[in-house]
Amino acid sequence: MTQIKKFLPYFIAILAAFLAAGIFIAALGFNPFKAYETIFSTSFRTPNGFIQTLIKWVPLTLLALAFTVPLSSGKFNIGAEGQMIVGGIGSAAVGIIFADLPPALLIPLIILAGILAGSLWGLISAWLLYQFNINEILTTVLLNFVSFSLIDYVCTGPWRDPAAGHPTTIPIGENGFLPMLIDQPPLNIGVLLALVATVGVYLYTNKTTAGYELVVTGANPRASKVHGINIRQMFLFSMVIGAALAGLSGAIEVSGTHNRLIEGMHSNFPTLGLIIGLIARGKNQAVPFVAFFIAILEVGASAMQRTLLIPVQVVLIMEALILIFILLSDLIRRRQK
Amino acid sequence: MSGIEVFLTDFLKLTFLSMVPFILAAQGTMLGGRTGVFNVAQEGIMLTGASVGFLVGYLSGNVLFGVICAMLVGGLFGLILAYFTTTLKMDQFVVGLALFFMGLGLSSLLPKIALGVTLTPPLIPTLPDISIPLLSKIPFIGPILFNQNILVYISVILSVALWYTLFRTNLGLRLRSVGENPKTADSLGISVNQYRYLTSIIGGMLIGLAGAYLPMVYTGTFTDLMVKGRGWIAIALTFFGGWSPIPIMFGALFFAGVEVLSFRMQVGGGIFPYQFLIMLPYIATIIVMVFTFGKAKVPGFLGQNYDRERRSL
Repeated sequence: MTQIKKFLPYFIAILAAFLAAGIFIAALGFNPFKAYETIFSTSFRTPNGFIQTLIKWVPLTLLALAFTVPLSSGKFNIGAEGQMIVGGIGSAAVGIIFADLPPALLIPLIILAGILAGSLWGLISAWLLYQFNINEILTTVLLNFVSFSLIDYVCTGPWRDPAAGHPTTIPIGENGFLPMLIDQPPLNIGVLLALVATVGVYLYTNKTTAGYELVVTGANPRASKVHGINIRQMFLFSMVIGAALAGLSGAIEVSGTHNRLIEGMHSNFPTLGLIIGLIARGKNQAVPFVAFFIAILEVGASAMQRTLLIPVQVVLIMEALILIFILLSDLIRRRQK
Repeated sequence: MSGIEVFLTDFLKLTFLSMVPFILAAQGTMLGGRTGVFNVAQEGIMLTGASVGFLVGYLSGNVLFGVICAMLVGGLFGLILAYFTTTLKMDQFVVGLALFFMGLGLSSLLPKIALGVTLTPPLIPTLPDISIPLLSKIPFIGPILFNQNILVYISVILSVALWYTLFRTNLGLRLRSVGENPKTADSLGISVNQYRYLTSIIGGMLIGLAGAYLPMVYTGTFTDLMVKGRGWIAIALTFFGGWSPIPIMFGALFFAGVEVLSFRMQVGGGIFPYQFLIMLPYIATIIVMVFTFGKAKVPGFLGQNYDRERRSL
């Protein structure tokens, strides 16, 4: 009964968001029932739809965790976008330069390079926060814009693929492609890597002392400081972990999904990652589930645009509405106490 | 005129032209922050302002009407922010980010609804330059300062007016006291909520106007994500200016100068790959923050909600 009571406000919030979005869709002159039917059935009607959902789930989960892990210590990492891009650049660089290494060596190297490059990008903001107390929201966002130019440079520079119409690098060495889990429809082991990362984050924040210090810092920085936790170090550390997760998602996109670096490969994943993190109310263990739900919406949304010609942006409005209603439901629960 | 003088005139004129969105967005941020409401949705509000301003201007054929609508939408964002943070006491950053997403989605959705898919972008006439009689005839300075579009003049007058209101009037004193210590302000009979709503709404309107400036002066049309981080830079500028109108105005000149420089050098070509020139404004902003952030004077209650029923602050 208490479980139902706990989840009821969420359920009502999501329902209210769909109701509001439905009215919006109807106001645009489309049939909301048909739209919702497409949105929710696409992921489950065909194996391909389900695989597509899983493929989207990987970056969404990792990028949402890139936001929620720093948030556990009370810091806002809005820079997962840049960290993912720079991670992807690092992976592509290793994958192209060391293309001839055997897979057993090259694949871990590519993944590691992505994680490292992403972490370093995040470390810039983390260090500026640690050293100069500069607002991390601003530096992470500004570095996103720097990373857009960086990936453009890499994709149009010496590694450019002249055959591609869009700024793209040549493929990484075939030995660096992520192994397949299922061949048809294709699903690589990226989904397992994301799963490991998710469980790792959960165990770290919920079952270890170091992780506990992190969460306590977020809950009450002053009390933590009094009890001898170096909170500034916690801020730095949590931001770098978040950036590493974003870097990992960049590595998976490069070595698994595309086998090359493509400008714009991050799509709208980073924005969705933030929304997922906020809908999960910053709870790391809720992120994978919310991410799966959003992945269903996203896969359904593109199908909706294809078959019903409803602009895909409608779904972004819907997601923002879910977020706002969830925040409101939070409030109602707080008042009831 | 010699070549260097032509270049300099051109560069400075463009710098004054480009400072406007920075001034408007940063003054809007400053105004809300002075009562403690820290808006972080600038980028989204500016995008929506640009989108709405352009669409209304195009469809009604009246650019002024577009400007007004962009400001109204910006004000609506400010109102929502004020309601969620002041009345419902929700986290300011979280609500701000949610509004940022809303603006992001809305700005790109609206043109698709209103215009459908178009191959050639529809254009609106850009704002004409207004030369001020006599003053615009001064050599060198005249064409730079006194031959600009109307919003350049307005943004300067606004900055001075804001300074006067904040630091030379009773209203300004009360307004600032709300941001410094709401409990004291409240005990003196100042309505904290009223001031927070007021500044948040007016701030939102200014930010919306800053967005509308982009299609109305630079491009004549709306393109997705056209604000390109100016909203975020405006927040940095607000800190840089110590949450004070006049330093913000001069700071805007600096950020606009870097933007124009980055753009000019791309056009001119040269030894650097152009991508590194595009990075310039963002990197410059970060460097400026390193030198000014620690020393910046910040309103005491910035980003915090006030609950009069709570015992401690």
